[in-house]
Amino acid sequence: MCLFLVAFTNAQERFLTKNGMISFFSKSPIENIKAKNNQVLSIVDLSKGQMAIAILMKSFMFEKALMQEHFNENYVESDKYPKATFKGNLLDFDKITGSETVIAIKGNLTIHGVTKEMTIEALTKKTAAHIEMTGDFFINLADFDVKIPSIVKNNISEKIKVSFRFHHKPYKK
Amino acid sequence: MRNKNVKKLIGILLIVAFSSVIIGYKIYNKPHVNVAENSADIAQTANRLFIDFSTDETKANTTYLDKIIAVKGVVANIAEEGEKRIVTLQTSDDFGSVICYLTKEDSENNAQIKEGQTLVLKGICTGFLMDVILVKCVVTNLK
Repeated sequence: MCLFLVAFTNAQERFLTKNGMISFFSKSPIENIKAKNNQVLSIVDLSKGQMAIAILMKSFMFEKALMQEHFNENYVESDKYPKATFKGNLLDFDKITGSETVIAIKGNLTIHGVTKEMTIEALTKKTAAHIEMTGDFFINLADFDVKIPSIVKNNISEKIKVSFRFHHKPYKK
Repeated sequence: MRNKNVKKLIGILLIVAFSSVIIGYKIYNKPHVNVAENSADIAQTANRLFIDFSTDETKANTTYLDKIIAVKGVVANIAEEGEKRIVTLQTSDDFGSVICYLTKEDSENNAQIKEGQTLVLKGICTGFLMDVILVKCVVTNLK
């Protein structure tokens, strides 16, 4: 995380949130699984058009304790890989305005120790006081080497819908 | 005679099947850790907690992650996120702090807390980003 700080110092147009929200949803015939994380760190540097996100896997809260336990212990192995990260570049970031605009962010998403290049679209809106970004995208569990035992294959979807909402504020010490 | 044994066997099988369904259901629905009802695994000051994470995060992760931590510190900031309050405890570092996310109930119960106050909070440590994060926190040194 210190690397993030170093990389982003001296930037004028830096916006940050420590309470970003990321949730995911797995739809399957047997059960729907939902988890929400309200402690996501996200930094946007408008002068460079960069974005960095860090997520604690153990901050994902599930409806059922057992799901949370399986998620952490068996699927994402959060003791071994406690964080997920995304580092990317805002494409056409000069197009960000006061009204909501779709901006593409191309970058590397790392989950479960596996990095994959992704382009994510975010509905973005900027005022002097904040930058708001919302959106959703899908990830394939197999891309991140997350193995689901065959006994629960029908309980967990291979494609997971991820939603996010970041309300960045100007960064000051 | 034979008939009787078969009946007995079916009876036993039914009991086993029935109890495994109940046990399975109980496991499936087992409750989340109740922070308020459990005592803390580790008591620490906000400053020390932050220093432990900022000097050796991997080691701090093995010590603190998933544990119930009782943390003592001075309130630097209070924010609201929906119905929940977020209490930031100051440390000797300018950038870093310990951020405690209160439960919904405790947010309502502790509307009176203010900046500068010394608090002891109990919560589950989920890790370190720019700050140490504790979730499901309850305030323990008031009321």
